[in-house]
Amino acid sequence: MKILIVEDEKDLLNAMVDYLHQSGMTCEKASTLEEALERIDLYDYDGIILDIGLPDGSGLKVIEEMKKKNHQTGILIVSAKNSLDDRLAGLNIGADDYIIKPFHMPELVARIKSVFRRRSFQGKKELVMNELRVIPDEMMFFVNDKQVPLTKTEHDLLMFLLSNSNKVLTKESIAEHLWGDHADMADSFDFIYSHIKNLRKKIIDHGGRDYVKSVYGVGYKFHSE
Amino acid sequence: MKLLNVTNRYYIIIAVALVLIGCGFLTYRLLYLFDREITQHMLLEKQVIDQQLYEEKKLQHMSFKFGDHIEVQPIDKFTTFRIHVNDTEMFDPLKKEVVAFRILSYEQQIDSTGYRIKIRRRLTEDQDVLYGVLVAVVLIGLDVVISFYFLNRWFSRKIWAPFYAALNLLKNFDLRKEGKPRFRSSAIEEFNRMNNELRKLTDKVTSDYHNLKEFTENMSHETQTPLAIIHSRLDVLMQAENLTEQQQEHIRTTLDAVNRLSKMNKGLTLLAKIDNNQFLDEKEFSIAEVIEKHLSQLDIFIETREIRVIKNLSPRIRVTMNVNLADVLLTNLLSNAIKYNVDKGILKVALDEKTLVISNTGDAPLLSSEQIFERFKRGGEKIDSTGLGMAIVKKICDFNGLEISHNYYEHLHSFTVKLNSDKVKLT
Repeated sequence: MKILIVEDEKDLLNAMVDYLHQSGMTCEKASTLEEALERIDLYDYDGIILDIGLPDGSGLKVIEEMKKKNHQTGILIVSAKNSLDDRLAGLNIGADDYIIKPFHMPELVARIKSVFRRRSFQGKKELVMNELRVIPDEMMFFVNDKQVPLTKTEHDLLMFLLSNSNKVLTKESIAEHLWGDHADMADSFDFIYSHIKNLRKKIIDHGGRDYVKSVYGVGYKFHSE
Repeated sequence: MKLLNVTNRYYIIIAVALVLIGCGFLTYRLLYLFDREITQHMLLEKQVIDQQLYEEKKLQHMSFKFGDHIEVQPIDKFTTFRIHVNDTEMFDPLKKEVVAFRILSYEQQIDSTGYRIKIRRRLTEDQDVLYGVLVAVVLIGLDVVISFYFLNRWFSRKIWAPFYAALNLLKNFDLRKEGKPRFRSSAIEEFNRMNNELRKLTDKVTSDYHNLKEFTENMSHETQTPLAIIHSRLDVLMQAENLTEQQQEHIRTTLDAVNRLSKMNKGLTLLAKIDNNQFLDEKEFSIAEVIEKHLSQLDIFIETREIRVIKNLSPRIRVTMNVNLADVLLTNLLSNAIKYNVDKGILKVALDEKTLVISNTGDAPLLSSEQIFERFKRGGEKIDSTGLGMAIVKKICDFNGLEISHNYYEHLHSFTVKLNSDKVKLT
């Protein structure tokens, strides 16, 4: 997966590149609008992570250019909390999703992967990992080709874990992914623990392997091997 | 008490006192003058009588009465030259009542015959005059007091007008609103001085307020990016292989701190934004629907803790306010009622056209009902709370003209929001 990250804050840009790189994506950087326009003109990308507020103009221009080229590139807008208008404008002219600063890195990965999935396979794609198989849009989950019923939260959790397999996921990032604004309600994080436990049990009960490991004090990790 | 009434009160007290003293003095003087005048008049009469007695020989040796006025009576022996004047009350056959008289009596010797002569004089007329004068004086006094009162009112209104204008400007002075109060200059030096000082003061307050606001804004805005960088770097660092347990612990505590900082930052930014009037677009919506939405988002937490929800929501109530703020307000109130609830406790949500009451079972509060709404006041050991939730709730209520109060009664914490009747509509 080849991704272009457009972000004017160099340190943040580098951190994003490093993290996405760890997740197995190829990343290219642009920190100004001009640079970004130049890059999309020269290369094709599977996805673009786009900060709207750039020093030399609005990132919305990048979306317009992409539309002109009629690309299948997925676009994820990164916006500040207070720029609701930019976000809506971006979605209107063809961005696929948005993420609000500040965000957890695993959340970014989950979002860009989801955008990419929707773009490339019109959402029909199955996610297969060893004996596990998920059809995200229909919320169906199979272990060894036997369907396993999941609650919505468990499904969201599974997708988040699969998108970030082999990564340590903090409890905060999981809580925020699952409950958004209400994340701080899960303050003791017993909620996450019980969901993880249920999910693990369902996979193992249907003959799957034990993929989810707890990382002491920090969170959880989904081992794909 | 109004300034006007204070000065008026003093004026009136003084005027009344002056009129009373004047009356007293006048009465004293008039009485004295009348008294002297009457006696002198009687003495003059005496002379006329003496003259006539002397000249009219036929009158001599006779005792006669001249109406009730003059009485001449021969006496055997002349004894004294003394003249007696005394006041007495006598029956007046004309008026048929007892009236005051003055009697001047003396003995007179004419041609070796002694006479006792009594001159009487009614005092009533003089007293009537005196009363008349006194009434006139009191009326004049009253007149003076009344005109004083109204004139003073009128003058004060005119003179104090700049003062009241300044007061009004101060009353309407709101830091959050644009525009400075414009104190008019007046012809009175004291007021000009006061206005100058007020102008300086309001300018200073305004600039301080703006500086502070700017600082808060910059602070919360400019810390966002560094926070995001620390956060993302920690995310990267955490993925490293072969981390020792100690290193993991370091990362974990740093992450906790950064998370708290981010939340605090989010809260402060929101507070600053509300202050900046960034939530002005209002929409009409049903509160009950929004509450239901949030309750359904929170149901996992409600179920896990086996909290019983008692809802009494009137779906007909629609309010007009900013939707984002309403979301934050209700989220904070509802999450709070769950977070500080006890397992198997009760969460009550009641909505009618006047109030929204959200109550939860809980232990006695550590903070007073006022402190609960202050920033960074925490009602317990919950390390995750930023201490801003209720401050945000209060700010949103203030911003929308809603009144919020908290009380604790029989293990039940209740937050009551009085709805703004102008913005409530029933469908």
